[in-house]
Amino acid sequence: MSGQNFEFDGFNGSLGNLKLEESSSSSAQQDDAAAGGLQVNCFTEIVDDVTLHLQIIRLHKQIYAWISCNSAKFGHLYAAAPTRPSNTASVACLLGGASDNTGSSIARRLVLKTGLNIILACNIPKNAPMLEVNAEKKLVEKLIYLGYTKPKSKGLSS
Amino acid sequence: MGSSVQRFPVPFKNLSLDIKGNKTDIVICSYDDHIFVIATQIGTMGTILHARKEEGVSIHPTFSVSVIFGKRDEGMLVACARQLIEHISSSGSSRPLVLSIGLKDHSMETLKGIVSAVVENRMW
Repeated sequence: MSGQNFEFDGFNGSLGNLKLEESSSSSAQQDDAAAGGLQVNCFTEIVDDVTLHLQIIRLHKQIYAWISCNSAKFGHLYAAAPTRPSNTASVACLLGGASDNTGSSIARRLVLKTGLNIILACNIPKNAPMLEVNAEKKLVEKLIYLGYTKPKSKGLSS
Repeated sequence: MGSSVQRFPVPFKNLSLDIKGNKTDIVICSYDDHIFVIATQIGTMGTILHARKEEGVSIHPTFSVSVIFGKRDEGMLVACARQLIEHISSSGSSRPLVLSIGLKDHSMETLKGIVSAVVENRMW
């Protein structure tokens, strides 16, 4: 898997966490307050000749993510959240994407993996399963790298 | 394209300010086909609205604003999105707006503060 990693800091320089640590649910608000704003992380990866752009914004107990393939379009917007008490996830299409299950399945699996509320803007073409898998894998890698989620010990995604 | 240090294609601004005593985090992102704004005082995305300029031939543009997630009974949020889309449209951009707004209070001063903060740090 060859890829170029870019990390782009915004104008007001909100640096992403580079430490690999388990994310604790408490005191996250204090970290955000100390950082003086929301943490925005941007990455570009090249996987199988396709350029994937990823943007992750961390809010307290919620994550906004944008994935796009080869363009800077916003794409379809989905909201997904864990549904207590059973271990399932509910997904809603907010903007477009009702006929497209790419983004909604990525959002659902992210919720299952991270246990957090996810708002996902996804600009990945339909009927491209390998692309969908690669994009989701990269996004989860970045979430683990940033410490927003714990890596799964089992290894395989559900 | 030897050492292509690509800029990330989506420029954004990340700021934090105080509005009526509440710390407000604002992120403004400029995608190719949308402007995305998050304004939160509560640590979550809150209510998400979508606002766009309608296609039409008349001189005065009309706008369509709708809540796509969250509080549907809070008129001030719709007004805030409407003001922002008008600013975006009057400066020449035809991109629709996705506004995510999570506030502790929905007073007019707070919303005016948010609109002015976003317009001051415009990305369109």
